[in-house]
Amino acid sequence: MLEVQDVVTSYGMIQALKGVSLAARTGEVTCILGPNGAGKTTLLYTIAGILRPRSGSVRFEGRELAGVPADQVVRRGISLVPENRLVFAHMTVRENLLAGAYARLGRDGGGVKVDLEAMLERFPILRQRAGQAAGTLSGGEQQMLAVARALMARPRLLMMDEPSLGLAPMIVEQIFEIVAALNREGITVLLVEQNARLALSIAHHAYLLEQGRIAFRGTPSEVSANEAISRAYLGIKRG
Amino acid sequence: MVDFLQALVDGVMLGATYSLLGLGFTLIFGVLRRLNLAFGPTILVGIYAGSHLSLAWPGALVPVVAVTVAGALLAGVYVERFSFRALARQAPVVSMISTFAVWMQLQELVSLLSPSRTMPYPSPVWLPAVAVGPILLRSDGLLMWSGATLIMLALFALLYRTRFGTTIRAVADSSEAATLMGVNVAMVGAAAFLVASAVGGLAGVLIAQSHQQVTPYFGLWATVKGMTAMLLGGAGSLPGAVVGGLALGVVETQTLWHFGGQWRDLVSYALLFLVVALSPRTRWGSGL
Ligand SMILES: Nc1ncnc2c1ncn2[C@@H]1O[C@H](COP(=O)(O)OP(=O)(O)O)[C@@H](O)[C@H]1O
Ligand SMILES: [Mg+2]
Repeated sequence: MLEVQDVVTSYGMIQALKGVSLAARTGEVTCILGPNGAGKTTLLYTIAGILRPRSGSVRFEGRELAGVPADQVVRRGISLVPENRLVFAHMTVRENLLAGAYARLGRDGGGVKVDLEAMLERFPILRQRAGQAAGTLSGGEQQMLAVARALMARPRLLMMDEPSLGLAPMIVEQIFEIVAALNREGITVLLVEQNARLALSIAHHAYLLEQGRIAFRGTPSEVSANEAISRAYLGIKRG
Repeated sequence: MVDFLQALVDGVMLGATYSLLGLGFTLIFGVLRRLNLAFGPTILVGIYAGSHLSLAWPGALVPVVAVTVAGALLAGVYVERFSFRALARQAPVVSMISTFAVWMQLQELVSLLSPSRTMPYPSPVWLPAVAVGPILLRSDGLLMWSGATLIMLALFALLYRTRFGTTIRAVADSSEAATLMGVNVAMVGAAAFLVASAVGGLAGVLIAQSHQQVTPYFGLWATVKGMTAMLLGGAGSLPGAVVGGLALGVVETQTLWHFGGQWRDLVSYALLFLVVALSPRTRWGSGL
């Protein structure tokens, strides 16, 4: 569904991605692990069109994405739940959800209404808070809102950047259950996480990104079986 | 007591136009995160255009209003194009310096193109003043207040009741997230700039009809009033700008009544300084 080939992305003189290749297959959860500063956010921003790659290609459903402006990428069927959620803090929960459907508002007003109702059904806490400014929500509620807002665009590929960041363990598990459920419903997921154990529990494929390069790829069990990676990212000591 | 009430009423009527200036400033600052020092001077251009038309065509009030707003819009487009869009990738301070240069250009331009420094501006002088008990509501003040209130209601309806307005607020809140939702942030920024310029032009009409004249220093004056109203209101909140403008107007007229005209500006600048120095968490333009 998504193929990233030899992508190089720089901030000025600093290369943050030094030739990254990976694939997200239709219907699967693909997760990207890696330490702080590895380039995970840069990779998602490059796919989303907010950053332009210096070289390499990003293909989605067979069409080239590199160079497509960010506001058009969402219209191709890719939504990003950004790091730190970035909800519209001064706008109500309902306005946030409608903003998520911005790209469809003009041509599919009826569908947007149906989806809004479906989101409020799926996340009852958002219905309770529908008229409240999003900035007054708790971190977990804001994360739910960010996910629901992204879904309002009806993406075929949902990208998530560290959804567990700063949340209590119980809330994190809830979020991962939601991600797994969305995937079962047919949404392809590209998940960036530092919480490797939880991410691997729902992933079909995993990549390890280190200093702008893919250091390892495999199935979750292959990742767990790799001694160095387990020690660094799963905190498992063996032999 | 009557003095106090009279000054209060005068202050609210005057302050309503400051609120409009503050709203224009806040819109541009909130959406583009850049300070437009040339906001007052764009209004100056509109008022001079209106003044020229009124000299050539006495008694034509509606065309004068239209030309004033159109002039402010045109000057606004100029500022947006050259100080904001052209410099969008530069640091915000570059835009600010550029708007200062544009300010000087516009100020010199209207001086050069006008027969005298002080130009007349028409006012509907035939409107009667209204007496409410001991309080006198002057016609120009009533016009400022009612006009500004109508414009504010329209602006708030636009921003809070339409999809376009919601998009503007979303960009002001987080332009990054708005981009991810599919919003063309550059286009929304330019549109917000135009809305602000139109609001500025209308504020210019209301203020100029009260002053009945205009000088090239109106640009400085309007920029200072608008920025003060915005900062008093917390730098980035639309309702705050309304309150800030009203507060500034009331402080000015109270000072005028009780201490005399020479203290008026000093006290309002002192108020601005106190608010900026003492408020620990101004919003600095995060969301409207
Ligand atoms: N806006 C930026 N300007 C300059 N360098 C940046 C910027 N954002 C990130 N970087 C650098 O790029 C590298 C990758 O960052 P990032 O993609 O945020 O990593 P991660 O999301 O994996 O923590 C880091 O070295 C970081 O310092
Ligand atoms: Mg990151």
